Amino acid sequence: MADYEAIVIGAGNGGLTAAATLAQHGVRTLLLERHNVPGGCATSFCRGRFEFEVALHQLSGIGTEEKPGPLRLLLARLGVLDRLELVPMDDLYRVVIPEVIDITLKPDRDATVAALQAHFPAHKDGIAEWFDLLWGLFGEVIGAFYFKDPQVTREKYPLFHRYALQTSAAEMDRCLKDPVLKTVASAYWTYMGLPPSRLALTDMAALYFAYSEFLPYHLRGGSQALSNALAQSVLDAGGDIRFNCGVRRILVDDEGVAGVVTEAGDTIAARQVVSNVSKVATYVDLIEADRVPLAVLDELRQARIGPSAFTVYLGLDAEAADLGMTASTTFIVGDTDPDRIYARMFQREIGPRDGMLLTCYNAIDPGFSPPGTCQAALVTLKYGESWRDVPPRDYADEKYRIAADMLSAAERVFPGLRGRVEEMEIATPLTHQRYLGHPQGAIYGFDHHVKDSPLFVANRPHIRGLYGAGGWYGSGGFQPTLESGVAAARAVLRHLNRSEAR
Amino acid sequence: MKSDIARKLDGYDALMGEIAAARKYGSDFTPLRGRLQDAVARLHPHRVALRVSRVIDETPSTRTLRLVPAAGNLPPFQTGQYITLFFDLGGVRTARPYSISSAPSQTAFWEITVRRVAEGLVSNHLLDLGPGALLESSGPAGTFVFNPVIHPPQLVCIAGGSGITPFMSMIRETVQRDLPRRITLLYGNRRLDDVIFHAELNELARSAVQFDYIPVVEDPPGNYPGRRGLIDAPLIREACGTLDDKVFFVCGPQGLYDHVLPQLEAMAVPRRRLRCEIYGAPANVWEQPGWPAEVDRHARFTVTLPGGRHVEAPAAVPLIRSLEKSGWAIPSLCRSGTCSLCRLKLLSGRIFQPPGVPVRSSDRRFGYIHACVSYPLSDLEILL
Repeated sequence: MADYEAIVIGAGNGGLTAAATLAQHGVRTLLLERHNVPGGCATSFCRGRFEFEVALHQLSGIGTEEKPGPLRLLLARLGVLDRLELVPMDDLYRVVIPEVIDITLKPDRDATVAALQAHFPAHKDGIAEWFDLLWGLFGEVIGAFYFKDPQVTREKYPLFHRYALQTSAAEMDRCLKDPVLKTVASAYWTYMGLPPSRLALTDMAALYFAYSEFLPYHLRGGSQALSNALAQSVLDAGGDIRFNCGVRRILVDDEGVAGVVTEAGDTIAARQVVSNVSKVATYVDLIEADRVPLAVLDELRQARIGPSAFTVYLGLDAEAADLGMTASTTFIVGDTDPDRIYARMFQREIGPRDGMLLTCYNAIDPGFSPPGTCQAALVTLKYGESWRDVPPRDYADEKYRIAADMLSAAERVFPGLRGRVEEMEIATPLTHQRYLGHPQGAIYGFDHHVKDSPLFVANRPHIRGLYGAGGWYGSGGFQPTLESGVAAARAVLRHLNRSEAR
Repeated sequence: MKSDIARKLDGYDALMGEIAAARKYGSDFTPLRGRLQDAVARLHPHRVALRVSRVIDETPSTRTLRLVPAAGNLPPFQTGQYITLFFDLGGVRTARPYSISSAPSQTAFWEITVRRVAEGLVSNHLLDLGPGALLESSGPAGTFVFNPVIHPPQLVCIAGGSGITPFMSMIRETVQRDLPRRITLLYGNRRLDDVIFHAELNELARSAVQFDYIPVVEDPPGNYPGRRGLIDAPLIREACGTLDDKVFFVCGPQGLYDHVLPQLEAMAVPRRRLRCEIYGAPANVWEQPGWPAEVDRHARFTVTLPGGRHVEAPAAVPLIRSLEKSGWAIPSLCRSGTCSLCRLKLLSGRIFQPPGVPVRSSDRRFGYIHACVSYPLSDLEILL
């Protein structure tokens, strides 16, 4: 006899929306979380008088009340929208290539095109063509997949058929030509972790379409406010949550998933399990090797673990404006060749030629830290391998050394930054690994090459009753992982024949 | 369905070749079974098994315990960090944090120094342990550390009583490794025989150019030649010379903070050059600003736990202690409100958390509380 109809392992974005969706559809649901709060990446921590946002930079897919985006609709269905304070950002982003360009774009396609054309008049037509291509292509993706067109033909979806399996660089080179222009117009590639030469053109289109059409947002109270609201929805709908309760085994028998064994040794029976644990740990650590289907091992071999990050969280005793933090999102780009920046993501060192992102929410939410202060997260993507072999005794010194180099690089844009730091916390790939349990501290799951698209690696159960939710089972980032949990829950509902399932 | 779509896309065949190659030559994770988290465990083990190898008498009321790993290696730590020791004392599973007083370059052992507290369940248990006794600790934790990226290399350390322990680690490390730092220690104690590490500190000050030692005794013997009274602004100024090239570290009992922090503020020391170590829950919580006058500090309330079980909890006792006393084990490290490991969710009822406890804004809204500094003001229902 099952203790629960469904168990969700992990209260990250995907686990929370999965559990909330299941509980709201009357499924007897248990959400297990090894930490003492919900959220996973979507969390914050306090140091001194500051509360630092860990992971959220720009929330996508929200839109306005008049023109709601998919994430706004999802959050409304889960009953959390009213519990959130959403703050739209005035800027798409600011890009600074020190001594070359300093430009701020608006979250509006026409304004972005106009601003780029004013700066790069020689490439006027190419700029228009590039944005036409991104919007045209993504419009087709929406028609084919979001609205689930039963007939996805070449005649109806010509751009999709031509470009769906292409990377971004060829068309970008053809349209934009100037390396500075390309750098400015494609700075969002870091949100997916692959440079234009490797990033699918559809992913590039998705980034610019989503943030321009539905605006980038900040959450007052940080992403933990969303995590706490979602956990509350699980409880309100009658779901159970156990914190401080990790899982060490997913039980599988001849009929499929049979339940879980907790770290404390309790066995809890259920025939439906949603894993918000990394796909690697789910199949390598949590399931008996004999029960792992070979098709999963094929999928795991095909994939490559994506980048982690090196982040310096800064609590500063000066106002954002006094430090030159005029935009909430500033990309500092030290090299106009994104492939060279990508190559540096495999090295531990950080220097003036790296790309990095500084997020300062005080620019749009003055109450984000105490009066007279501001806080910022300075982050750059790094693959985890380079940190794995640092001798433990050198680890702290190495963190400080590299953080100092990173601050020096950032001070070219924000002079005097270091002199105003009151609280500092440094997160390496090992820090991310420690708190997320993700192999190599990967923050977006696997690399998302074209070959790893859901067209080829569908997120379907390999073991009857076992579903995946989170960045390891689709795209990384807030909107995709929140959506992935709902998708997993819907698959469970279909399986349980709950009529409420869409 | 999706695969039917994919077949018609430009570049499909080439991509299938790419997938086949990746599946053939890609890396296999299965040999990492059980070892995915090894790199993290080397730095941040969940638990460390320790054995007492030596007990050193320091003062009439304090002893140092030298702890060696019962197996394997000790994880690294930064000077100023603490470990938390876990105990099961007659069915009460509890924990206490202790700053490490040995230097990180000493990788063979950790030392902690413990003061006997009258009726202190844990301190009395610890101080009666002899060589060979086994203990279990957390990995090192804490943010009371010197940050070379932002702190000037001149440290003014202000200690009271057993608050000396993190500074011993900093001083020993600086001297032993000949680090390019300068440390001035102002160390306050009530009586001369309370001063821990007095001889070693005098010797270090004599032999090392980086270190100055200024003991201050409140109530010394009549013939005591050193400084008397309390650590105050004139003394700090005299010891420091210039203030704006110094970083201040303060560690000691509540009385030290109450006395010293206003003086540092009056001297306009900015918060970015001041770090205070945590030092336990407040002694008389009902004297804290904000304690509701209508709640009798002797009141007792009922806490309802998952599964409908009940625990009795006095108003003036931290919730974590009442839960532990009833046999519940709540994760915890700092037991001072800061590390957040003892968070739990309040489903109903009211609690008091003293001002200044770093609770995240959305946790306040959704009822996540730090059990080590939460005091019941009504019957409670909690989620663990």
